[in-house]
Amino acid sequence: MRKYLVLASIVLGVSALAYATTYLGALGPIGSDTRQLAKLFLMHTYNPEFPELTAMSPEAVTSIVWDFRGVDTLYETVVFYMAIVAALAIYRGVGYSAIRGAGLSVIVRVVTRILIPMNIAIAVSIAAHGYLAPGGGFQAGAALAVISVLLAVVFSASSFGKLGISLARAVILWTAGLLAIAAVVFAPVAFSAVTGVRAFLMQNYVKLDSPFAFAIHIYGQQVSGTPTWFNLAEFLAVSFGFFVIFMLLSLREDVVREQLGESRGH
Amino acid sequence: MDPTLVPLAFFSVAGLVFAYLAVVEKDLVKAVIFSAIQSSTYTAVLYLLRAPDTVLVYLPVAVGLYPAALLFLIGKTERGDGE
Repeated sequence: MRKYLVLASIVLGVSALAYATTYLGALGPIGSDTRQLAKLFLMHTYNPEFPELTAMSPEAVTSIVWDFRGVDTLYETVVFYMAIVAALAIYRGVGYSAIRGAGLSVIVRVVTRILIPMNIAIAVSIAAHGYLAPGGGFQAGAALAVISVLLAVVFSASSFGKLGISLARAVILWTAGLLAIAAVVFAPVAFSAVTGVRAFLMQNYVKLDSPFAFAIHIYGQQVSGTPTWFNLAEFLAVSFGFFVIFMLLSLREDVVREQLGESRGH
Repeated sequence: MDPTLVPLAFFSVAGLVFAYLAVVEKDLVKAVIFSAIQSSTYTAVLYLLRAPDTVLVYLPVAVGLYPAALLFLIGKTERGDGE
């Protein structure tokens, strides 16, 4: 009975959505032309002719995420930060060094050893070219975080300690990423305080009433102001935030209960 | 007709099938695997819809991190879905 109910709800849901989007035009014209909103963003993403309006980053999504609606992304990062703080609070008092484990077979371990450097290279490139091509800090962080899962599953939770990745170090790197984001956010205000030139929080490029701008070129290389630095900082914060989460999740339940029972006197 | 519509339809329908299997499966480990396969098909859908930024975040999260988090949690509870 349950299977038929699920099947019927899927068929009904898909049919209703398909009807609404095709015959009723619920999503507006699809595929016929670029929408006005998209044209607006594409025109201002990288356009030196309108310096007060542009983000000076050739990648439209990164421009939107870290400039046009940058505060939104900043608070999303704060939400992620708070979630990890909650996880750390729940697992407080659990020692990571006592974990032992064998991991999977030698074939899987060898293949994973080959894959991990490739994963790191791809993650770093996604973060570094995020201002220029599809990618960015969160994408790169999520890609690198897969390594924490591979380490925990393939080499066992004990592998973190063997590689010198302690929970404290992961927390330090994660916090360093967040501090780097804060530094980029407050840099224009600090500049303003020192020089007296008007500048705003999270300001990337010049505004109508502010000449402040992050460097768009460094030694002739396009870097696109704040989006580049936000991407790199977010990469650090997200990847090691996930590392913290998966290091905690990979702990065996009986070990956690035993250690929490001892440390909290239950 | 746009030639990308054919693979788009294929991956969308395949995603639906695996979403159904993930919902009705009693063994939670198998359900997570079905869910990861469904996510893979949606990754292809997003790529065909020309959303590479979303693909880059959806692939590691929905195929790697999310199933891994669920499997860790299943490992701490029970594998079967109780009625």
